[in-house]
Amino acid sequence: MTVEHPALALRGLAKRFDGTIAVAGVDLDVPAGSFYGLLGPNGAGKTTTLSMAVGLLRPDAGSAWVLGHDVWQDPVTAKRLLGVMPDGVRLFDRLTGAELLAYNGLLRGMDPAVVDQRAAELLDVLALGDAGRTLVVDYSAGMKKKIGLACALLHGPRVLVLDEPFEAVDPVSAALIRDILTRYAAAGGTVVFSSHVMEVVERLCSHVAILAGGTIKRVGTIDEVRGGRSLEQVFVEVVGGRTATGQELSWLSQ
Amino acid sequence: MALPVSADATPAAPVRSVSARHFVRLKLRVMGNNFRGQGWRIALFVGGALLGLWFAASGFFLFAAPGLTDNGRYAVLVAAAGGGLLVLGWLLLPLVFFGVDETLDPARFALLPLPRRTLVTGLFAAALISVPALAVLIASFGLVLTAWSLGGWSAGLVAVVGVLAGLLLCVAASRAVTSAFATMLRSRRVRDLAAVLLAVTAALLGPLQVFGLAALREADWARLTGAATVIGWTPLGAPWTVGIDVAQGRVWAAPVKLLITVVALGALLSWWSRSLESAMVGAASAGKAPVRRGVAGGAVAQLFPRVAGWTRRDQFGALVAREARYWWRDARRRANLITIAVVGIFVPVMINVTGGDFAAMEDEGLTAAASDSSPVVVTISMVFVGVLAAVTLANQFGFDGSAYAANVVAGVPGRVELRARMTAFSLYVLPMLAVVAVVLSVLLGQPGWIGLTAGSLVATYGAGLAVNSLVSVLGAYSLPETSNPFAMNSGAGLAKGLLTLLAMLSSAVAAVPMVVAAALLGDAWLWLALPVGVAYGLGAALLGAYLAGDVLDRRQPELLATVTPRR
Repeated sequence: MTVEHPALALRGLAKRFDGTIAVAGVDLDVPAGSFYGLLGPNGAGKTTTLSMAVGLLRPDAGSAWVLGHDVWQDPVTAKRLLGVMPDGVRLFDRLTGAELLAYNGLLRGMDPAVVDQRAAELLDVLALGDAGRTLVVDYSAGMKKKIGLACALLHGPRVLVLDEPFEAVDPVSAALIRDILTRYAAAGGTVVFSSHVMEVVERLCSHVAILAGGTIKRVGTIDEVRGGRSLEQVFVEVVGGRTATGQELSWLSQ
Repeated sequence: MALPVSADATPAAPVRSVSARHFVRLKLRVMGNNFRGQGWRIALFVGGALLGLWFAASGFFLFAAPGLTDNGRYAVLVAAAGGGLLVLGWLLLPLVFFGVDETLDPARFALLPLPRRTLVTGLFAAALISVPALAVLIASFGLVLTAWSLGGWSAGLVAVVGVLAGLLLCVAASRAVTSAFATMLRSRRVRDLAAVLLAVTAALLGPLQVFGLAALREADWARLTGAATVIGWTPLGAPWTVGIDVAQGRVWAAPVKLLITVVALGALLSWWSRSLESAMVGAASAGKAPVRRGVAGGAVAQLFPRVAGWTRRDQFGALVAREARYWWRDARRRANLITIAVVGIFVPVMINVTGGDFAAMEDEGLTAAASDSSPVVVTISMVFVGVLAAVTLANQFGFDGSAYAANVVAGVPGRVELRARMTAFSLYVLPMLAVVAVVLSVLLGQPGWIGLTAGSLVATYGAGLAVNSLVSVLGAYSLPETSNPFAMNSGAGLAKGLLTLLAMLSSAVAAVPMVVAAALLGDAWLWLALPVGVAYGLGAALLGAYLAGDVLDRRQPELLATVTPRR
């Protein structure tokens, strides 16, 4: 790496909600130019961690840096470098796709002509141009993910943080999103995304961190974490699942 | 006990049938869980309960007064007018101010195999579990006391049946009407019709006002009692007057009036049950907009509606354009705009003109009637409209919900955010206020007062914007993500009420200089009011955005967390 700062650096991030600990001190270094997968079961604290990393949720302790800029001390610079697609958050969905892109572009202080050109291109590439004047609220789940991704990409961020980009997306759209992300990373951008789909992570990522119970359990390049086994084996071992004995739920079989 | 999936594909009969009891317990459980670990919510609830109790007690003594003083003359009047007001209040107040508690969102029951009758009775029973319903019950037992003291235990018993039926009628009316309006506002085709209907409903307040004024003036008691007797035969007054009818010897009237009530109740419930259907299917039937093609211009040109076309194509402009689109496209916001338009026109007209009508009867001349309204009264009624318009923004971030995250991620400066929101809202409200000012001056026969009315309106509205932007940053709360624009989270009811009251009071206080000037400066003020008012309002709004913007910069993530609905 020729860049001195990591694309995203987290130190001791912690958050508790109503007495339950959601994230208990996460340290993470995402090298610039990497394709970073944050793996974890449901409720592991992935969304909470990423929200604190991008400035959506104030941490109880710890800090986050984007390319050396503190997200919570110098939010303006840090946020300019970031493109974010949160999960479980609504878009301004009473706008059409084009309107939403124009809104986000101008909000980022972009030149209107550039916004127009990039919005048209993004809508075309993501196959959203056919939606015309349909409001985003009437989009299908997959289309919503795609327009969310377009909003995150529009201003040409250096670091892209995506929460569950492949959730509820059909295989065709997923392939499209994968392609775009791969190209973005190849051009020098950094992608951080959370998921619990092993095969996507295994296919795309250069680095992986496994988060469970609010702490990082494994971290490193994908080969280091796998250690010669399949990622799924490592994941289940780290998270600790239960195996069915075949005795329970017997009433399911008629 | 295993429930085998039978091979012949007919589902096994449920072991226990679902009754209204389950809905009531579910509602109590949800309310209880909402309180868990949230001290301030409990405090708010207790405060609300005490407030309700206070209202209940004063209502009780009002209703019981004829009985306590053993004065049968006014019994029918008090019962019919008071009871009728109660029903009307339940009918109109949720639409205009408070919304309905949707702790049990009907959409959540869509997948359960419940007959519609079970669902409606269940939701109805759950709706009865609320502080306002309890308050009405306590208050209306004043009528029972009156009936008992005037006509003995038989009259008292009939009165008990009557007030219980009356309570059911109140709750059913509020549910049916809000649900029907929600359905209409959701549908893109008939929302204009809904606006007209709401206007007509609010216009019903007019005759009521006349009635009230007449009562205040202690006019002809016989005529009033006559009117009350008539009201007693409508569903509005029927349930409340049965006890007194029995006490005064009209025993035959009781079953007829109870029948009237039951029929009205049945009609309301079946109306509600029909609009529930569409609420349950929810977004699916929200009327998919046809895919319109042939888009003109680039993305940026599409974002800016014509009203916001004049703004620069930058951060501020984008915020104004998006807000302007949202005030029209979001049913919840649109309902608020319609309310401002309707109430903004009717209330000042009622205060100034109907008051004049009564003076006219006395003075036998319209000119005398018109001059009955003084600049101070006009200014005060304008202050009310300005305050009401501005208070709509008291929870402006709550309208956005979690979508506000986009602005947080983009790091929008607080001052730009608040100024843009004020601007976009004013694009709709200022023309409305102008219409109010002109219409009122013309109706009063004082075209020269346009400056006065417009000036006080703008001054109050501007000061209100300042107050409410601060309130919206500090006191935001989340709104449920349902398609019912009148829905609220349980427990938020009182928070909303208190916050609204606080914001309205502070805005009104900020507008006091205008009233004082109107009282002291005399004719010169008629000319000065407009320029001074505009300068005052604009200055206040800008100062408010400046101060509240600073607060917003420091607590953007916290604000996002409070407006994000808990799921």
